[in-house]
Amino acid sequence: MLGYQNKVLRIDLSKKTAKTEPLRMDWAEKYIGSKGLTIKYLYEELKPGIDPLSEDNKLIFMTGPMTGTTVPCSGKLSVAGKSPATGTICDCSIGGHAALRIKYAGYDAIIIEGALNKPGYLLIEDDNISFEDGSELWGKGCHETEAILIDKYDHDYSVLTIGPAGETLSGMACITSDYYRQAGRGGMGSVMGSKNLKAVVVKGTGKVEIPNIVDAVKRIAEIEREDTLLEDNTFVFDLGTTAFLEACQDGGILPYKNFSDTTDENWTEYNGDVLMEKLAGKRGCGSCGLGCGNFLKIGDAICEGPEYETIAAFGPNAGNRDPEAIVKANQVADDMGLDTISAGDVLNWAMEMTEKGIYDFGIHFGEMDKYIEYLKMMAKGEGIGKELAMGVKKLAEKYGGSDFAMHVKGLEYPQYEPRGSWGMSLAYAVSDRGACHMRAYAPNEEVFAASIPPYTPEGKGELVFNLAQFNAVKFSLCICDFWATLSMDTMAELMTLVTGKEWTADDMAEVGTRVINIARAFNQREGFTAKDDTAPKRIFNDALKNGPAAGQKIPEEAFEDMKQQYYAVMGWNADGTLPDSLIATL
Amino acid sequence: MGNVKRLRFTKQKCIGCQLCGQVCSATHEGAFVPSKARVFIETYYDKGGDLKYKDSYCNLCGICFKNCPTGAISMDDKILVDHDVCIGCGTCAAKCPRKVVRLREEKSYICDTCNGDPMCVKVCPQGALIFE
Amino acid sequence: MKIKILLRGTLTKYFEGDKERIAEIPDSCTAEEALKLVGIDWTKIDNFGFVAINGMRAMIYDKLKDGDELKAYSKISGG
Repeated sequence: MLGYQNKVLRIDLSKKTAKTEPLRMDWAEKYIGSKGLTIKYLYEELKPGIDPLSEDNKLIFMTGPMTGTTVPCSGKLSVAGKSPATGTICDCSIGGHAALRIKYAGYDAIIIEGALNKPGYLLIEDDNISFEDGSELWGKGCHETEAILIDKYDHDYSVLTIGPAGETLSGMACITSDYYRQAGRGGMGSVMGSKNLKAVVVKGTGKVEIPNIVDAVKRIAEIEREDTLLEDNTFVFDLGTTAFLEACQDGGILPYKNFSDTTDENWTEYNGDVLMEKLAGKRGCGSCGLGCGNFLKIGDAICEGPEYETIAAFGPNAGNRDPEAIVKANQVADDMGLDTISAGDVLNWAMEMTEKGIYDFGIHFGEMDKYIEYLKMMAKGEGIGKELAMGVKKLAEKYGGSDFAMHVKGLEYPQYEPRGSWGMSLAYAVSDRGACHMRAYAPNEEVFAASIPPYTPEGKGELVFNLAQFNAVKFSLCICDFWATLSMDTMAELMTLVTGKEWTADDMAEVGTRVINIARAFNQREGFTAKDDTAPKRIFNDALKNGPAAGQKIPEEAFEDMKQQYYAVMGWNADGTLPDSLIATL
Repeated sequence: MGNVKRLRFTKQKCIGCQLCGQVCSATHEGAFVPSKARVFIETYYDKGGDLKYKDSYCNLCGICFKNCPTGAISMDDKILVDHDVCIGCGTCAAKCPRKVVRLREEKSYICDTCNGDPMCVKVCPQGALIFE
Repeated sequence: MKIKILLRGTLTKYFEGDKERIAEIPDSCTAEEALKLVGIDWTKIDNFGFVAINGMRAMIYDKLKDGDELKAYSKISGG
């Protein structure tokens, strides 16, 4: 198939070797690229039971066949490994321009193995690879690191870097690129940190080839005009993800004070209108057609963002309504290389613990100056930050408060209240990397829809399957979530145009299902079953008091019913495991 | 010459997607290889604090044409380079005020407006690049 | 009765770009019926999202009262 470079760069940091090998095209035919293909590689190459922070773990940066082409919104890069936060497979998707530069350098993927014996960074300039000394950079924030490296090399280099959080091996450490884009969840930054790898710097001047390119780009430009640039998608240019704030407020799923309730009457103080007034520029990723990045300057806070997750986590969920504090905290988290969703949830839990008198973490709801200090301490592993960096699951095991430690499998809850969107509790529970909203975004169908009831378990198994299948294949082409109107048919047409092989919408659906299954098979091999597809007890026991979902809590039987519906649709056993016959097909 | 259409760029609309360079190279070089494009536009965060724009595109000023010593460059409502005549002296690239003319393997590569229907304009998602 | 209708997302095109209008509607009017009166038939709009009455999600067949604020959203997806 064309589109691919048919080349993988395999780096052994222990031996300081860089070798190339052909891409497993037989695997690409089943998993395409990006999310799916990277999970397949990890499934085949990682032994079960390894320590994610040991040399045995591998970190894979994987592009897709469309990376580097003019297919709109194809500029994302998959970053994956075994997660230090959960022990499950974890694949992230990072924006910016690194995906394109890796592809133009001639590689479909970079597989990083072993560990350096002291801090360093990898420099990739087309087929020239070198292992550079990183001791001067170790300890610096992501922003300073990127500034130094870009100054040294140039703007046409991409930098993928970790901050102090990755160096201190926090489960919430992310990998940053283009200053403000992250591979956020599951602690991928710590996988890099455990390998003493401070950064990957890459420049690519090569090419990507597709069949009949002159005609193909004309057809792709047509698809861009007729589909990508529909207003259903371009709202992200106008507002970015701030658009979700009002919808979640009205929809009753905006979390408040560590998910103790929903909705915030003060939401207009930090909403899209307020934030977008401070817009200093717009930016998108490589090959992006939409440009969701809002570059804001508010007071002395600068950030491309904040995204909805961060607004909610550092805003109402922290009992805060000061927008400048939200942006400042975002800037600090980005610089520290800390996942805002997880770090926010941990701090918000710590606030509830303190206010309930269960354990005094020294921080109360709304104390944003402390919040920002705590973020730095968490990243650097200093003082109380060292404890907090453990994540909410381990913290609750040590200090109590597990009923409201909002996580699944050790990955903290994204900012959508499942008692207001019951299918979301299922989506969080069965997602491959722990609680994640990007696998099946249930509120889109349950809450942001005129006639589907959100407060019932009926039909939610199938709903979550359909959404998860769709995103699984979309993220395996490496197309961004925000091209929302993209259909299976259009994906099939794009795959056919780019690879020269005939793909149908049914093929796309099959890949989606297969990707969900292989991720599940990886986790199953690590010992995960239905008992780990959980929800925090708060969801079952505490009824919401405010908003349209007032009075709602999810009965445990309804939750178990939704799980069984999902397992049935997937063809899994009642204990959430895959039958051997299904594993054999992967 | 009457109303000759030219490329025009509004930087506030640019999202830095670089689809322009990708499609230019696809159309002229048979592959997506933006390092060999005839338009170079990018945005970047300067030390994370300021959004900056680098834009290099041909606006048909004609300085390359006027300075070419061999007559390899011709110009009416677009610029064309005859590679059989071009000796790769680099005068055009040196004189180009927009730094968009590049030499590769001793030949000059200059934007030809895709014969009056620029592909970069077609793919620009925000209308930052227009032709009028 | 008089209500205020607010539109969000791509629905603002039905008010020619305005985000809100006052509408005169009959008693016991449902959200669905009120929207129809101002030219919005949700069943015919592919990306019609949901409605909220007085800042709280409602069903399309819920009834309105005098002075209510009815908000209609287009679908937004992502995270």
